[in-house]
Amino acid sequence: MPPAGIPPSRALPLKESGLFKEVLHYYEDRQLKKGLKTADAILKKFPNHGETLCMKGLILTHLGRREEGLELVKQGVRLDLTSHICWHVFGLIQKGQKNYEEALKSYTQALRFDKENMNILRDAAHLQTQLRLYDGLVETRHTLLRLRPQLRQNWIALAVAYHLSGNLAEAKSVLEQYERIVKNVPDYDVEMSEILLYHVRVLEELGEYADALSLLDANAKSRAIIDRVAIQEFRARILSKAGKDEAQQAWQGLIEQNPNCWDYYKGYLASRGIDLEAITDEQRDQALHSLHDFSAQFPKASAPLRIALEIAQGDKFTKLVQPYLKTRLEKGVPSLFADLKSLYRSSSKRDTIEQTVTSLLSTLVHPATSPSPPDTDPTEYIWALYYLAQHHSFLGSHKKAIELLDEAIGHTPTLPELYMFKARVLKRAGDPFGAAKNMDLARTLDLQDRFLNTKAGKYRLRAGLIDEAVEVFGLFTKKDAPSPSQDLEDMQSLIYLTEEADAQLRNGNLAMALKKYDAIHRIFDVFEDDQFDFHGYSVRKFTINIYLNLIKWEDNLRSHPAYVHSAIEASRILVKVHDDPSLATKPSSESELSKKQKKKAKRAEKKVQEEAKKANQNSANEDKGLDIGPLKDEDPDGTKLLQASDPLERAAKVLKPLTTMAKDNIDAWLAIHDVAVRRKRYLQAIQALNRAHALNADSPELHFRLVDFQRRWTSLTDKPSENAASAALSAIQKLIPDEVSLEVFNSQYLQRHSSRADAVLAAAKVSRTLGAPREEVEASIFTALNADTELKLETALAIVAFLTEIRSQRAEEFRAACRAKFQLSTLFVPPEDLAAAQKAVVQKDPVADAVEEKAEIIS
Amino acid sequence: MVNIRPARVDDLMGMQACNLHNLPENYTLKYYMYHSLTWPQLSYVAEDEGKVVGYILAKMEEDVPEGDEPHGHVTSISVLRSYRRLGLANRLMIQSQEAMATVYKAAYVSLHVRKSNRAALGLYRDTLGFTVKDIEKGYYADGEDAYAMRLSLKHLAR
Repeated sequence: MPPAGIPPSRALPLKESGLFKEVLHYYEDRQLKKGLKTADAILKKFPNHGETLCMKGLILTHLGRREEGLELVKQGVRLDLTSHICWHVFGLIQKGQKNYEEALKSYTQALRFDKENMNILRDAAHLQTQLRLYDGLVETRHTLLRLRPQLRQNWIALAVAYHLSGNLAEAKSVLEQYERIVKNVPDYDVEMSEILLYHVRVLEELGEYADALSLLDANAKSRAIIDRVAIQEFRARILSKAGKDEAQQAWQGLIEQNPNCWDYYKGYLASRGIDLEAITDEQRDQALHSLHDFSAQFPKASAPLRIALEIAQGDKFTKLVQPYLKTRLEKGVPSLFADLKSLYRSSSKRDTIEQTVTSLLSTLVHPATSPSPPDTDPTEYIWALYYLAQHHSFLGSHKKAIELLDEAIGHTPTLPELYMFKARVLKRAGDPFGAAKNMDLARTLDLQDRFLNTKAGKYRLRAGLIDEAVEVFGLFTKKDAPSPSQDLEDMQSLIYLTEEADAQLRNGNLAMALKKYDAIHRIFDVFEDDQFDFHGYSVRKFTINIYLNLIKWEDNLRSHPAYVHSAIEASRILVKVHDDPSLATKPSSESELSKKQKKKAKRAEKKVQEEAKKANQNSANEDKGLDIGPLKDEDPDGTKLLQASDPLERAAKVLKPLTTMAKDNIDAWLAIHDVAVRRKRYLQAIQALNRAHALNADSPELHFRLVDFQRRWTSLTDKPSENAASAALSAIQKLIPDEVSLEVFNSQYLQRHSSRADAVLAAAKVSRTLGAPREEVEASIFTALNADTELKLETALAIVAFLTEIRSQRAEEFRAACRAKFQLSTLFVPPEDLAAAQKAVVQKDPVADAVEEKAEIIS
Repeated sequence: MVNIRPARVDDLMGMQACNLHNLPENYTLKYYMYHSLTWPQLSYVAEDEGKVVGYILAKMEEDVPEGDEPHGHVTSISVLRSYRRLGLANRLMIQSQEAMATVYKAAYVSLHVRKSNRAALGLYRDTLGFTVKDIEKGYYADGEDAYAMRLSLKHLAR
């Protein structure tokens, strides 16, 4: 007879029951082979024993036989639906698959049959945190504390759970109880110190400043809180919030501790009633006086000097900025312009700076023919030129900037910064090829410097030279990585992935572009997963303050510009493929891998396989863990990804986070509209247009879509249900008045914005879709070249692209006009010359080529 | 205007990007998280209008052999080339060392540097006062040797 409560199908005879315990032990010790053998011994006699099947499945999963393992686990669960072991194992597997929702369901089942299992409860708490199910989390943490009140972390974990669920008062009360009962805290205990600092934070967030301060002060004095910077920061901040006079002294203490932190000065000045954003003339003098004193106290610190520049005006500013510039130009500080740029909001400060540097330069300049006077410092001369080049480029005079840089290069041809900035100027002026060439020159001046190397690679990408860029990146990536790109992706380089994706897109390779954007999205998934382990770790380490900041940061993770950009671009690609599925099937000339590339790819693949083989040989019993590792790349050129079904559903999925994470980004709303309208979610589409309208009513991109939406809506044969339809209709009418035709709506828009080239282009695109003859559209678009119209380089390029798209005979005419207008730009040459300009960027290095050839022969 | 302050969670991606831009030894974000969530006081950033232009990623040595004193370790430190000559590395290092000494009673701080990286060696030895303690053969993934350097923090103990 099996013991009471155990179903007969689970009960095993004495021998097998012992074997099952062995399986559990082997698993705990990760003696996987032995565990497997023992499980098989049980299954030989009892092939339908659910718990053994689950354990075998779990072991197989650890051994890397994932699919087989999963099948066994599922089978085991079906055979024993009331076993906590079966559900626990299933939950573990699902957690390894990052399927947290399903995992939590399994854990919840497991807990039904074993209510007080600590391991299961703890895992469930981590899953609830990951899924932000805070009410459930509080309950679970309560149970854990009830079961093990002697464990310190259980108290803190409950406080954290309350905190996350928004119940600060309960968090506080748990901490108070904990502090009352905790005994034998060793002196100088970092963990207790962190807990007390967390307690202070809770009080601060509750607005109980007096209590927060007395808790902080008492424990700082007794040295129970030992983190001095944190003590001072908390004190200064809370004193300021409470409006106490001692705040000033607290901020001063922080400045003494770190005289280069701008926040401390801001806090100090604020404590004296001075708000830098809204300063009165009387305060100006007071502030300058204090900053002067700080500068005297900390002669090496830049912050007080620099903040004074923010505040001072007129002659005072001139007097302060002159020595500031002089010492930094003498020293050759490359970031000087970046440092001062924000002062340029004031045109008088900008002019003063320009005059100061120019007159400084005039004291250093000498005729090229005579030798340099002995008392002038060539360094200062070069850096003054460098500064002025940045100054003029910032103000739009690219030619002037290039002249200054060429003068500096003529004098000192070995300074990478000069070429780096020349590259930047050329990039801004529309010459990506010259830019890449100059960045390469900078790189070759210091081949040990990865910074220069990274820049050179980035500029090659900007010039559309993708293979050549990867080659340069490869000089610093790990040699044992399958490829430079793979190493950069593994190291989560969002900058590289973004730049390559954008470059692929510009080259017309939608598949590779989508693949790289997708890689970015997967990195963000990893970042989201990364927090998982800390749900348990941080309460064990008691580093609660920073952990709570982590949770908050994770909640806003996808507001990062790299995610927003890649989501929008990926959705645009997917929309394009939806509109024209042939884009996904016809191989673009770019996506044909060159012969050399193919060979390289083959070599890399071979390397990976060999390594995998090696790894396998050493690891017959090796635990591969439950987490799914990186999968083999089955889609090296991205075509499968581009061809996969449901492009619109996939686009909607990547855009979804943007509705809350990029609320102020008009491009995000336009992308959301583009997908929604094609998914026939008309209400969602019009709402997105509304959001875009609220952000920028005059946006050309919005104008184009308003008309497009109206046309789709009126031509709709299967209108949505009446309610939805009337809601959508009233929303449209707010954006496009009913009484005017679309043609009139368009010409009104053009009239309002005729001095903006991007609006001219949008209106032309609209009239084209409304059926206007090509000549009329062309005539309209050429007004973008009018003297009083603001034409930016990007708009000019977009116009060229549009003229090409509508097969205009006047494209070359427009390009010619742009060549005159953007003289430094190389982008308006006829298409056939463009390729030649691109090729000329990278002069092939014959030695490197020979080495490569050799490597190919050997492999 | 460059600001030196303790690193926050929302700096970690910027630190990672800065590291990838500058140095050949790179880490995934989780490793930065691990540092920050274990020793939140020890890492600092230099930031210019929200962009991380320099950082120090630091920790306490976890497996201190018997007889050795607790000590800190600099996992990575770098400053963007375009922000050199401002003394940022020095300032970052000093803030981190203070925290090692006061919060964790670190007796000294250690770090590794590539044998070939003469610029960094100069910074650590000449500017920051580190001394070479040892040479670790094949310390780096590509087989290069490392100098193991250290600096006493006894003067900071309080």
